[in-house]
Amino acid sequence: MSKVEIVGPKGMLREVLGFLRDRGIMQIEPVFKGFIEKEDEEHIRSFLPDEKTLGERLFLEDLIRKIDELSSYVQEAPVRTIYIDPLSILDTVATTIDRHIAGCKELFERKEKLEGEASELHRYRLFLNALASLFRTAERTPDLDFIGLTIKEPGMVGRVRTLLSQITDWEFDLLTETAEDGTLVGLITIEKSMSGKVKKSLSNEHIPELTFPPSFEDLSFAEKIVYVQKRISLVLSEKEEINRKLERFAHRWMPIYTRVKEWSEERLSLLRTAASVFETRMCFFINGWIPSGELEKAGKDLADVFRGEVAVEEKGIFEEDLVRVPVILKNPPYFRPFELLVRFLPLPRYSSFDPTPFIGIFFPVFFGMILGDAGYGLLLAGLSLVMKRRLRKRKELRDAFTILLICSVYAIFFGILYGEFFGELGSTLFGLAPVFIERRSAIKPMILFSLSVGVVHIILGLTMGLVAALRRKSRREALYKISMILITVCMIALFASFFEVFPGLLARPLIIAILVLSPFLFFSGGLLAPLELLKSIGNIISYVRIMAIGLTSVLLAFAANRIAGMTGDIVIGIVVASLLHIINIILGVFSPAIHSLRLHYVEFFSKFLEHGGRRFEPLRK
Amino acid sequence: MEKVLTSLAAALAIGLSALATAWAQSRIGAAGAGTLAEKPELTGTVIILVAIPETMVILGFVVASMILFTLK
Repeated sequence: MSKVEIVGPKGMLREVLGFLRDRGIMQIEPVFKGFIEKEDEEHIRSFLPDEKTLGERLFLEDLIRKIDELSSYVQEAPVRTIYIDPLSILDTVATTIDRHIAGCKELFERKEKLEGEASELHRYRLFLNALASLFRTAERTPDLDFIGLTIKEPGMVGRVRTLLSQITDWEFDLLTETAEDGTLVGLITIEKSMSGKVKKSLSNEHIPELTFPPSFEDLSFAEKIVYVQKRISLVLSEKEEINRKLERFAHRWMPIYTRVKEWSEERLSLLRTAASVFETRMCFFINGWIPSGELEKAGKDLADVFRGEVAVEEKGIFEEDLVRVPVILKNPPYFRPFELLVRFLPLPRYSSFDPTPFIGIFFPVFFGMILGDAGYGLLLAGLSLVMKRRLRKRKELRDAFTILLICSVYAIFFGILYGEFFGELGSTLFGLAPVFIERRSAIKPMILFSLSVGVVHIILGLTMGLVAALRRKSRREALYKISMILITVCMIALFASFFEVFPGLLARPLIIAILVLSPFLFFSGGLLAPLELLKSIGNIISYVRIMAIGLTSVLLAFAANRIAGMTGDIVIGIVVASLLHIINIILGVFSPAIHSLRLHYVEFFSKFLEHGGRRFEPLRK
Repeated sequence: MEKVLTSLAAALAIGLSALATAWAQSRIGAAGAGTLAEKPELTGTVIILVAIPETMVILGFVVASMILFTLK
């Protein structure tokens, strides 16, 4: 990344910003500290927009707000692209938009009202349909009154019955029926004289009474049902008519408004960016960051387009700049899909390393070491190839299947080394023998193998930490990292000699070496250094999971073949084995992937990676 | 009898550490799910936090293996 300053005459600022936006190569820094020499700071000030620019900004902000309001009233639908120049219709649009907002708002509000009414009517219809059967059974005399209820919980029926018995001295009838939507509706039949008291008690107990709107008052029960049906169809047809009107409007006008909005947003972003620019009496200054690979071409193009009136100057990056240098991950094509796994983590700092190549090299190796079955690897490779072809347009999924394809190749390779093809099926059918190790029985050698991988990986991590410290010219940290590496190596060799992997004679010189190195560790790393050392040893032991997870995978494959053999029937056996192997393959994709990732995120990256990088966000359309 | 006790010791070494890992992961996982609902950009940090207690069961596995292989 290059730290740059672009200078030119004030009158050209907008054109230069437009050029930079079209190219999308520069992240503008809204401060001048670190870009301008201290003695020149008094001559520099933030770019002050003139009255016309301020007016334009307010006009565009208001127009965008109005277009957003208009869009909220019309239905969302795919909008056709139009190629009209927005600048030529801007004044017309500004005049028509208020009228269109008013019209659409009225239609929208009417539609909302109708929707509310339709929902209410639907509720009445459900209630009336349910009550129709109750009315037929209820005795109809002029002295009786009927109260409708919506009962939310079945337990409430008992509560209502108790309440009514207390008020009416058991002179009531309560009938219940389930409506079409599953709600329980009830009809209370009581003497008219008790009606007021009962209604008041129901209200006190928060039991909702179903009341009809005033327009229902003069209608009989049968008329109410017919009225509700008619009203629903009227409301729905009116709503449809409004929808058609809004749809016609959207089809005719929304492409224009969308185009104007896009243009206004682009224009506005330029005007806002101008606030991050600085000026002197005659010139403007744009400070920021350009990827180093783009700098030369950008400088040449700026000089060509603006006839040498705009200059680009590369500034030196100082130590205090390191925290604010934006970061962009750029990798060769093989490693690019692995950026997907790095994106889960915060970005590394500019002074740190891009973790993608490390994850690109070691992740598939660990995956292959854990899964280690040629049959599973072949199946996964086939699946990855098919899915990669099908998902050409979905980049993230395509990257995921590219990673799976690479991992599958390693699974095939380690499967051949372990002599595994769908468990021990390979050895039974084709006499496939392990080239390196037989995982199912050689548990101790596999633990040692996994630990060895861990030692190499952690030592590499610590070495990268040492390189980072040297790059930052931090001598104390470099000494700490070297002491840590040497003591870790000595401790591992000491353990190995205790467990008779190395000769026992080595133990004494190793203990002396550790004692000699320890003061350096304390001096450079402080009191917490021994804790870090223990953490590194724990990290190495953590790599035993490569063996442990692999062992479960191979034992599951073995069990699948055994259970299939026990069925005694070739067809059922194949079906059972296939099902169990499919389950094992699914586990065999997730488990190795998660554990390999964990080994990177927790054990490896913690040794050298510094997070907290700033994402490169260039000015672009 | 000695073989039974050795096996029991190995089983306890891995069983207890597995229970401890499960308990720790259940607490961290629940908190992590809540965190991701509000801040999806913390996915990497949450994965790391959930993964940390796994070391316990791996250490338990190593201890169990050492019990079985060294006390044979």
